[in-house]
Amino acid sequence: MSAEHSGEHDALIPAPQPPLPARATLPDDLLASEHEHLDALWSDGRGFWAWVTTVNHKSIAKRYIVTAFLMFIAGGLEAGAMRLQLSHPDAGVMGPDRYNQIFTTHGTTMMFLFAVPMMTAMGLYFVPLLVGARNVAFPRLNAFGYWCYLVGVVFLYVSLALNMAPDAGWFSYVPLSGPQYSPGHRIDVWAQLVTFTEIAGLIGAINIIATTFKLRAPGMSLNRIPIFVWSELVVSFMIVFALPAVALGSTFMLGMDRTVSTQFFNPAEGGDALLWQHIFWFFGHPEVYIIFLPGMGMITEIVEVFSRRRVFGYTAIVLANITTGFFAFGLWVHHMFATPIPELGQSLFTAASMVIAIPTAVQIFCWIATLWTGRPRFTTALLFILGFFFTFINGGITGVMLASVAFDKQVHDTFFVVAHLHYVLLGGAVTPLFAAFYFWFPKVTGRMLSERLGKWNFWLFIIGVNVTFFPMHLLGLDGMPRRVYTYLRETGWGPLNALVSAGAVIIVTSVIVFLVNVAISYRRGALAGDNPWGSYGLEWATASPPANYNFLYPVVVRSRHPLWETAVELPVLTGLSTERREVLVTTTVDARPDHRHDDPTASIWPLALALCMAVLWIGSIFSPYVVLWALLISTPVLIMWSRQAMRVTTTERVQRPNGEMVEMAQA
Amino acid sequence: MTNADRPLRPEGDVSALPTVVFGSRSLMWWGTLGFMTIEGWSIALLLVAYFYLRQNFVDYPPARTPFPSLLVPTINLGIMLLSFVPAVLVARAAKRLDTAAVKLWLLPFSALGLAILVLRWWELWALNIRWDTNAYGSAAWVLVGFHASLLLLDVGDTIGLTTFFWTRPLPPKALSDAADNSFYWYFTVGIWIPLYLILYLGPRIF
Repeated sequence: MSAEHSGEHDALIPAPQPPLPARATLPDDLLASEHEHLDALWSDGRGFWAWVTTVNHKSIAKRYIVTAFLMFIAGGLEAGAMRLQLSHPDAGVMGPDRYNQIFTTHGTTMMFLFAVPMMTAMGLYFVPLLVGARNVAFPRLNAFGYWCYLVGVVFLYVSLALNMAPDAGWFSYVPLSGPQYSPGHRIDVWAQLVTFTEIAGLIGAINIIATTFKLRAPGMSLNRIPIFVWSELVVSFMIVFALPAVALGSTFMLGMDRTVSTQFFNPAEGGDALLWQHIFWFFGHPEVYIIFLPGMGMITEIVEVFSRRRVFGYTAIVLANITTGFFAFGLWVHHMFATPIPELGQSLFTAASMVIAIPTAVQIFCWIATLWTGRPRFTTALLFILGFFFTFINGGITGVMLASVAFDKQVHDTFFVVAHLHYVLLGGAVTPLFAAFYFWFPKVTGRMLSERLGKWNFWLFIIGVNVTFFPMHLLGLDGMPRRVYTYLRETGWGPLNALVSAGAVIIVTSVIVFLVNVAISYRRGALAGDNPWGSYGLEWATASPPANYNFLYPVVVRSRHPLWETAVELPVLTGLSTERREVLVTTTVDARPDHRHDDPTASIWPLALALCMAVLWIGSIFSPYVVLWALLISTPVLIMWSRQAMRVTTTERVQRPNGEMVEMAQA
Repeated sequence: MTNADRPLRPEGDVSALPTVVFGSRSLMWWGTLGFMTIEGWSIALLLVAYFYLRQNFVDYPPARTPFPSLLVPTINLGIMLLSFVPAVLVARAAKRLDTAAVKLWLLPFSALGLAILVLRWWELWALNIRWDTNAYGSAAWVLVGFHASLLLLDVGDTIGLTTFFWTRPLPPKALSDAADNSFYWYFTVGIWIPLYLILYLGPRIF
């Protein structure tokens, strides 16, 4: 890379610092033997048993990513079915009941089973690598989170096969979803499925927060954290404060109104339908930013690497992320402008909905400045980012339009809103996600994705998204309501709907090209090497794919771009045990080495506990007494889990709060 | 192999660092804090719902609903406050690495926890309304019930720790876990105080 530095650009990537006082580097034979030893120590083995017991963050995150992508495909197929039905007036592909189940399953899948889990999974894979850690902070809890999520996935799709899938929309408004208007178990499925995925999301968030705060490489102080990690951190805090709202609302209120006759939403007994809307959107609006802030973090990483210069305005971008996280909690009522909200309240939420565009704009201007003053390489990853600018900004602008109460009331519940939310979510989350796949695929698999197929993937996707969703604005302005299973020929909506459906075919083609690219490249792609893009982050300082232990030794970080700004030799700390899985815990702000932590080994109990929880949640739909049985069977599982964690292994160095150090073999 | 492109230069050695620490230095403390935040926030949201629903009633509790009884809830609050004593003593003993004292104080800690759990059943009925009568009853029951699930979790953890400490050799980190268990208990009991004031005393005052 250095040969490419010349003239004015030399200032953009600072020259490597002069080498520190000469000290011997670690000899190759030592590294080879340590590698072999540690790789075996951190391996969870092969085969079925290893597969169900692993606690390695990379294995778990990979299956999270694969499952979430399968959900993206399932949600896409449901969208395809809807587009088939709406492609011309009076179509008979499906009746209204099936259509209701399909659009509800589509929304529920995309929001709860694809978007949030995918973004969390990307964090669970890359946050430890980006901060130089060997695993996440709570590996067994991480495994438990994935199994809970998987139970939710299976539960929804088995229900769909049994004609029992939820049918009241992804936000399940009461009274439609209440016991009176939705008898049967369809809505119960929705309520419990939400609980599963929210538990998984909360566990992922706690893991990412603790990993970011305590497991960073020595020297990676808060102001040196990669921006993707910042965005995952902000999002994790948002998850902690947003997801409990919907988990409580769905399980303890909606679910219990339906199963044990609580009266939260029954107006005859003092309940309130609007309470549900407040609770749902207090989660639902931050959810949008939970999905899209990690995308913003990915963009910064990719723009920085492919512009070949430091990102413009690191501090501004970090502050914009945090500000967006705060503001996101102050907008939820703009989903409720069509309800009797006091005018002053409406004005406040209009203002807040407009204000949140500012931090987003700050980030976009920083990226433009970075690209403008850098030397961009237009790889597929960067193309997807440019596609993001185009689609997301479109969605952002219609968002500002919808913040106006008068306009919102005109287009409420029409296809205009459908167009807006798809521009925001596909533009704001899926395009950066594709970019991230192209950027990080080499790290995960050791092979490059094909750039040629990548460009096909990109162009088909961007054209498909715009052909599909742009005409929806016009249909919405013309009054076409969302969630109708058909429309009359006399409405004149036929031609535009046909165009929309044709666009959907283009998106499907694009995704097929991507899958073909992955399938071919996974086996025959060019070998990537450790750092194919000449990037700066710690994840590129390890092998591709990373060894089981991630980093042979904790890497010492002295700047924001460790691989750009250190001389050839990588400074490391030695001394972690090679007899057990040790990780280095550092201090929260400055990341000074603090202590060594014994990381857990593989365990079956996370899966066992998730199955107990499945009995609890699914069973409670049918009888509240199942809860007691489920608690009873979880008790031995919890005991076994704890016993496994409480084994005497070796002499520990215990430090009392007063600083005194004591060698102890057992308590 | 890892770090293949770059030679590694050792700059220090961490083998002298401790392997078991206490409080905010330990990962487990952060996990505990995370779950406390989620649970505390959940209770705050349920309280918002409790007050939101109040708008639909002229009186809260609604007309013809007796005030919640005070006897059992007040006794239970007293026991909870008393349980701070063994909880604090366990945490202090753990930080002194005094296993014998930890084992000793875990016993009353568990016993008080168990008593609190049992009384919680009557505490629910002390609301003097059923969960399915009206929205007030639903909100009050869910608040007390949700907090009961936290109690169940923490008392279960305390009893589990006590059993482990008395029955098998434990690694030194069990001492740090015992201190974190007390830390979680401070939260569980601490958050009950406003709930007691709002749910049981509140209706008589406002």
